[in-house]
Amino acid sequence: MVLSAPPRSTPAPQRPQSTKSAKSTGLKPRRRIKSASRVDAFAPYMYIAPFFALFAVFGLFPTVFTFYVALFDWNPIGGQTFIGLDNFVTLYGDERFWNAMRNTFSIWILSTVPQLLLALFLAQLLNNARLKFANLFRMTMLVPYITSVVATTIVFASLFGRDYGLINSFLNFFGVESIDFAANTFASHIMVSTMVLWRWFGYNTLIYLAALQAIPKDIYEAAAIDGAGGFKQFFYVTIPSLRPVIIFTIIVSTIGGLQVFTEPLLLSAPGLTGGSGRQFQTLSLFMYEQGFGNFQFGYGSAIGVTLFALIVVFSVINYLLSRRITSDD
Amino acid sequence: MSAKRIARTVIAGGAALALLAGCSGGGDTDGKITLDVWTFGGMGLDEAFATYQEENPNIILKVTNAGGSDEQAQALTTALAGGKGPDVAAIEVGYMSQFKAQPQNFVDLRTLGSDDIESSFLDWRWSQGVAADGSVVGIPTDVGGLAMAYRTDLFEAAGLPSDRDEVSALWPTWDDFIEVGAEYRAATGKGMIDNVNSAIFNPAVRQGSEMYYGDGDDDLIYDSNPDVQEAFGYALDAIDAGISSRTPSWSEAWNAGMNNGDFAVLAAPAWMMTYISQQAPDTSGKWDIAAVPENAGNWGGSQLAIPAKSDHPEEAFAFIEWLMSPERQLEIFQAHGNFPSTPELYETEDIQNFTSEFFNDAPVGPIYANSVASIEPIFEGPQQRIIDTAILNSLSQVENGEEPAADAWSTALKNVKTALGG
Repeated sequence: MVLSAPPRSTPAPQRPQSTKSAKSTGLKPRRRIKSASRVDAFAPYMYIAPFFALFAVFGLFPTVFTFYVALFDWNPIGGQTFIGLDNFVTLYGDERFWNAMRNTFSIWILSTVPQLLLALFLAQLLNNARLKFANLFRMTMLVPYITSVVATTIVFASLFGRDYGLINSFLNFFGVESIDFAANTFASHIMVSTMVLWRWFGYNTLIYLAALQAIPKDIYEAAAIDGAGGFKQFFYVTIPSLRPVIIFTIIVSTIGGLQVFTEPLLLSAPGLTGGSGRQFQTLSLFMYEQGFGNFQFGYGSAIGVTLFALIVVFSVINYLLSRRITSDD
Repeated sequence: MSAKRIARTVIAGGAALALLAGCSGGGDTDGKITLDVWTFGGMGLDEAFATYQEENPNIILKVTNAGGSDEQAQALTTALAGGKGPDVAAIEVGYMSQFKAQPQNFVDLRTLGSDDIESSFLDWRWSQGVAADGSVVGIPTDVGGLAMAYRTDLFEAAGLPSDRDEVSALWPTWDDFIEVGAEYRAATGKGMIDNVNSAIFNPAVRQGSEMYYGDGDDDLIYDSNPDVQEAFGYALDAIDAGISSRTPSWSEAWNAGMNNGDFAVLAAPAWMMTYISQQAPDTSGKWDIAAVPENAGNWGGSQLAIPAKSDHPEEAFAFIEWLMSPERQLEIFQAHGNFPSTPELYETEDIQNFTSEFFNDAPVGPIYANSVASIEPIFEGPQQRIIDTAILNSLSQVENGEEPAADAWSTALKNVKTALGG
């Protein structure tokens, strides 16, 4: 099942460059491999084998096995009966599934959009040449990212508390009535999204910052000479230059956003339903509830397979979009 | 949302892995036998384990505490699914029906002599560990006899009697209980109970002889059993009368509320006495214990089971037999408040004269003994917990003002159907 967070690697360098360099130096090494012994030719595969061996055991096999389990009525400590696609038929008629889907997308949008805008804004600030202690501030950005989700959730859950929460005290001070963040659907999405945003904004800020620093200064100088002010420079120079990186962060945030799990799980404790009305139960949490809470591995796997398909579809859409946009340059 | 719960959930992830790694053993060195014992927090067994270890040098007890009962159930599921398991596993009663629906995963304890000790346990409590095919899957630990813990200071401030006998006399029935709550609301403007699920529905629904199942795994009666609908009705009446402070159990607000007096009454099984005294130490002497309406109830307790893969079932059973003997259960009760499930103790002076200083010297021994004596055995089927969750969630939705009370019962039934169909 696809429970783990996606690996968030730094963006790969632009493709045209790397293939070009490979072509120009391609002849010599190929000739050398021919003359080398078979062991030498095999060596590179041995170097990368540990990753692929582990990936096969802990990544590929569970994924493939999930597809298999999804075709069964599978009790982890009891019997298994082959039922074909029945799990999927039930699932697509299950209100709770569509509810979890709505919640997932709502939380994804509420967390990703402000997160990326905030990250872009902060990156711009941190890139300012006149900023004192720039490194200190840059490092600080990563603190929420490296803080344990559990600690974050405990703090946020108490901030958002109905009776003793700081946010409600604040609202009361201005004469606004207390909000029961955990009970109300939209309010609970805000609460979960805030935690997701808090965890990831620093990471995205640093990626944007790295990209900003790679933009040649002379483009800005040329723009300034042409009479472009700060805002015009930002929209006509900065944003277009960042386009590939922005696309990358959107893709990664999408994959991560569709798999939001830990925050709703911890807020939902001791239950697994994501609130009494399933108001903040995401697809991942629904999958976990069915599989590990209710002992219905088959049904849980069907949810996992659906989530997998959903993420593939979104990644492909993102990929096509990003190809079109980068080729526009 | 309690910090403890959250921490437990996380620890459990690690614990599950550690358990899996650890349980392959059972390796015997120097003729010594290692017993893998999986427990969870709040069982109060640590001193007993130490005593057993001292008395039995040939046995090595390897005790793993999974955190909470949910984590323990998940760890055990994972282990059993992988064809492994400990020698002794504690299973909370809420999960018991799910596990005993697959009795082939456990040793039928009748083969090890459970018939000889059956008579010393409460019969309804014993039956919670018996599978549909009659095999005995688990031996009962403590029993969560139910009483109402209440704040004498808050009752006085609300103009209500505060003496425990007078308070018990205030609410012989659930309707009376709700009326007292309404008076409390009128006098103080606050809710009297923490939430309707744990203070009303849970105890009330377990006071009949049937709950969600009739007499078999396929005999679902949750929608037709009048007892369920009646308990549900009490909860709705209580919400309507405003007697709930809408504080979810096990939340931070709940722990804080015990200190701050956000609510004055709490359904308190015996094992919860320790919890309250730990969460709200400053309120010592302000609490007292009264009877629960209709004077019968149970919340919690566990069974000790022996997974079929155990290498040492005989030794494991001997250990369980020793651990849950009346003498041992009395010691556990005196140290931790977990109430014994062996009725022969109830008439002894040790229980009859047992009082709690924290609870204003209330004679908690006889109060809890009374509450568990009149409980009838209830058949619990494999989907018990799933049905329970769906119904309780519907009540919470009404309590939080997210759903109208008029639709609550039909919503609950619809949610149960969806959950069972999935």
